[in-house]
Amino acid sequence: MTRTYDVVVIGAGLNGLAAAAQLAKSGKRVLVLERRTAVGGSFAAEELLPGFRIDPVTDDFGYLSPELVRELNLARHGLDLLPPDPSLHAPSLDGRSLTLWRDTSRTVAGIAAFSKQDAVRWSPFIARMAKFAGFLQQLYSVQAPRPSGGIRDLLELATVGRKLRGLGRTDMVELLRVLPMSIDELLDDEFETVLLKGMLGVGGVFGIHQGARAAGTAFVFLHHHVGAEPGTFRMRQRARGGVAGVADAFANAAKAAGVEIRTQAQVTRIIARNGHVTGVITNDEEIATTRVISSADARTTLLGLTGAEFFDPELTREVGNVRYRGVTARVHFALDAIPQFKDADAESLRGVISIAPSLEYIERAYDAVKYGGISQQPILEVLIPSLIDPTAAPAGKHVMSVNVQYAPYHLRDRNWDKQTCDALGDQVVRMLNDHAPQFASSILARRVISPAELDAEYGMPEGSIDHGELGLDQILFMRPVPGWSRYRTPVEGLYLCGSGTHPGRSITGAAGRLAARAVSADTK
Amino acid sequence: MSTNRYDAIVIGGGHNGLVNAAYLARAGRKVVVLEKRHLVGGAAVSEQIFPGFTFSVFSYVVSLLRPEIIRDLQLPQHGLQILPLESTITPLPNGDYLGMWGDRDRTRRELARHSATDAEALDEFGRLMHHMAMAVRPILGMMPPDPTSLGVRDLKAFARLGGHLRQIDEKHLHLLHKLMTMSSADFLDEWFEFEPLKATKSASGIIGTFLGPRSPGTAYVLLHHYMGEIDGAFRAWGFAKGGTGAISESIASAARALGAEIRLNTGVAQVMVKNGKAVGVVLENGDELLAPVVVSGLDPRRTFLQLVEEQALPTDLVDAVRKYKFRGSSGKVNLALSELPDFTCLPGRGQHHYGAVSISPSYDYLERAYDDAKYGEFSKKPYMDIVFPSMLDPNMAPPGQHVMSAFVQYAPYKLNGGWTDEKREAFGDAVIDTLAEYAPNIKRAIIHRQVITPPDIERITGLSEGNIFAGELSLHQLFFNRPAHPWAGYRTPIRGYYQCGSGTHPGGGIMGASGRLAALRILDHRSRR
Repeated sequence: MTRTYDVVVIGAGLNGLAAAAQLAKSGKRVLVLERRTAVGGSFAAEELLPGFRIDPVTDDFGYLSPELVRELNLARHGLDLLPPDPSLHAPSLDGRSLTLWRDTSRTVAGIAAFSKQDAVRWSPFIARMAKFAGFLQQLYSVQAPRPSGGIRDLLELATVGRKLRGLGRTDMVELLRVLPMSIDELLDDEFETVLLKGMLGVGGVFGIHQGARAAGTAFVFLHHHVGAEPGTFRMRQRARGGVAGVADAFANAAKAAGVEIRTQAQVTRIIARNGHVTGVITNDEEIATTRVISSADARTTLLGLTGAEFFDPELTREVGNVRYRGVTARVHFALDAIPQFKDADAESLRGVISIAPSLEYIERAYDAVKYGGISQQPILEVLIPSLIDPTAAPAGKHVMSVNVQYAPYHLRDRNWDKQTCDALGDQVVRMLNDHAPQFASSILARRVISPAELDAEYGMPEGSIDHGELGLDQILFMRPVPGWSRYRTPVEGLYLCGSGTHPGRSITGAAGRLAARAVSADTK
Repeated sequence: MSTNRYDAIVIGGGHNGLVNAAYLARAGRKVVVLEKRHLVGGAAVSEQIFPGFTFSVFSYVVSLLRPEIIRDLQLPQHGLQILPLESTITPLPNGDYLGMWGDRDRTRRELARHSATDAEALDEFGRLMHHMAMAVRPILGMMPPDPTSLGVRDLKAFARLGGHLRQIDEKHLHLLHKLMTMSSADFLDEWFEFEPLKATKSASGIIGTFLGPRSPGTAYVLLHHYMGEIDGAFRAWGFAKGGTGAISESIASAARALGAEIRLNTGVAQVMVKNGKAVGVVLENGDELLAPVVVSGLDPRRTFLQLVEEQALPTDLVDAVRKYKFRGSSGKVNLALSELPDFTCLPGRGQHHYGAVSISPSYDYLERAYDDAKYGEFSKKPYMDIVFPSMLDPNMAPPGQHVMSAFVQYAPYKLNGGWTDEKREAFGDAVIDTLAEYAPNIKRAIIHRQVITPPDIERITGLSEGNIFAGELSLHQLFFNRPAHPWAGYRTPIRGYYQCGSGTHPGGGIMGASGRLAALRILDHRSRR
């Protein structure tokens, strides 16, 4: 006789594992089904060459809240967080670089070499950004408030209002003013150093199909700043073993709580009868359950796995309207030596190396995707994990991973075939070689992961690792679709917990944790 | 008693200044309007630029003028007559066209020619936008409250706003949220598939902004344009008989009838401030006029950084006004024509000449036009909204001849290397060359041509950086942030000094709401003394 489960979780990503662990801790019998061969799902590590370990999809696991670390006892399960220092390093072709250190005075000294005025403005700026991100952090630790007429909703809204007032008169209005701004306006009003504005500006457009002048990119910038130490941008936390190291800790915590994890178990169908979930079908079996939590995105879960016939046409239309449109590709390298960037020592290279030397550079890179093309001069964000974690590569060797934006999933006149991928890889090598002249000759192996592969192989819909663009119209009570922001779906017993739900990927495990609460509340 | 003493002085005879003065006069105040030019209207003026040819030189259509103002000031008795501008055609590069006509059935049939699903969706879309516009419209008539204030007035206003929003059901609140945050392209993509239809609709979302149709924030401007109301008919653009200057003249006439004085050719150099209180103005000729209330109808930059000393203001307000975005992005080409343009897609004279012609064949077209401007050039192939006022009002041109007005975007205020006479003419040439692709006879039909760039708009009307809305209608410059918190309620830190221009809530277009709301605020203050 097959075992029965209280809850089946689809996908062993961080949110799925967090939800599973929480529910198992409360006594539920939980099964996690993972399509891929390793736990961690798309966050599992791979080898580029024997001994060269990469995080294929992303190096950024976002912000892991202390509550979640404590609740899941992640430290005991192998989590080893490393504060990024520096967080960001920006080389430039004229040889002058800028680095953001944990030590503010060190950063300020670097900025002062470019602009005295900007150096003076840095500390107040990072304090204000941290304060604003702190407000978002509060919003992200609870389910999204809903603007409806219900008394409970109004009370929740009032709580948000009180927190907003808690910022103080000036900052409250300033936050409301800043959120819908463009990152271009926000940074231009503040600073004059183009290199500084460029390196910070990437945070406003990362992963979205918009340029630096788009309204709402100031919000995206703040969203990615949640949980960061003041002055730390683009990479809030890092961990030994990279993203895969975090995934392993989550999986260990889930297993310790009694969760059963099956890999190579692809769910092909969610079965529902009379509006209730009754089970799932995988590639080789049918599993009965009354609760299914899916960490896949809304479109895949509702229209793909469940079936449009279970939902009213309006919801089906809203699900169809979710904007994914991924814009990033990944290029991984195995290297024989550390690249020698001009004006940078090995210490500076321990952070994200950002090649986006101005806001105009970002905007010009974006222009291409409007017409279905790939940026001629894309934004590059480079990480050399082996500088932090020597186990990532054999002694003396290194691995390097590059986020390339804009490389849109939807190309107008071509496909993401080998030729397109190779051309992108070549372009990245050329650009990096301009900054670090010996780079090309130090390459032992290279792998390009296109947005098409992110979709097909790693389950990122249309290559969007956020499972839906972070636009002002696709967050909070609008995420993943308007009216269904609280993890439940119109099919009773079917829940969503992935990055496509509030608060999104970069608040690690938060959606899974909140989804688990919704399930618990419904099963009391 | 000296004739230089008034109850209130209004600086600037734009339509908001005139509305403000009319309402103050209506309440019995002794008011004077000071206009630096030889005619009232600001950016809503009609002028005979070439003998026999009258142009709405800048603003050229009307739809947002508040019905309560028309009623309160009895503007029809003062000569206001709005003629409906019912159709819009979009000529296409392939020789075809898209027509949207006053007759709904005809529009649906026409659209079905291009896309059956769009023809189906059009009515539902129209109904929904109408509903949304109705839902949002009361906010246009509301003084923006201060969200940080615990004052009775502000809390009451928020309660009213909350009560109003609660009447909107959840589904429509979601839609409102989308309209406030999305790009017009993304928003329209959810509804339609035929590119020229989407591009033409999206174009009303970019007017007056330094954004493209794919930029978030433009869907709101789309809604802003749906809020227009003429004789109760939504989204009906209209054209004033005699040009937009006739609107200004009718308001001026109403103001005079109510007892307001209007002085032309009277520029103001400075607002006089004593002990933190406005006491009058100094004219450019050195004369002084005295009044306990001074109202600026100019834009926020001029109101705060030019008319008064910076020291009289808190530094955070000065900072906020410096950050307030103008970024004029549009120009105007006015033509005197010997014959009507003959469009290849609709040969001969036709009904389309009584409506608007939109050069907006695709999103890409509009985005490429925007790209030029982003990097400091005028659009080589610009977006245009073209009307032929002489078709609706034959008095605008000599018999058999015509005037044509082309609103053109994008023309950035800050052009690489700066605007010169040569650049202005090159910009005009780009406009005519583009138009000639659709109506080849245009070049031989031109008798006179007037090309207006953003610096020209700034020089003539005073609108900073030539922004036609006295400041961009972007989300962070609306409601309680227009022009800057906490000075969105028409007051200023200087007692007795008020603002009433389009740079305040709700701003933009020939609406008059700012002028009226400012008057109500002033009268409220005064009466409570």
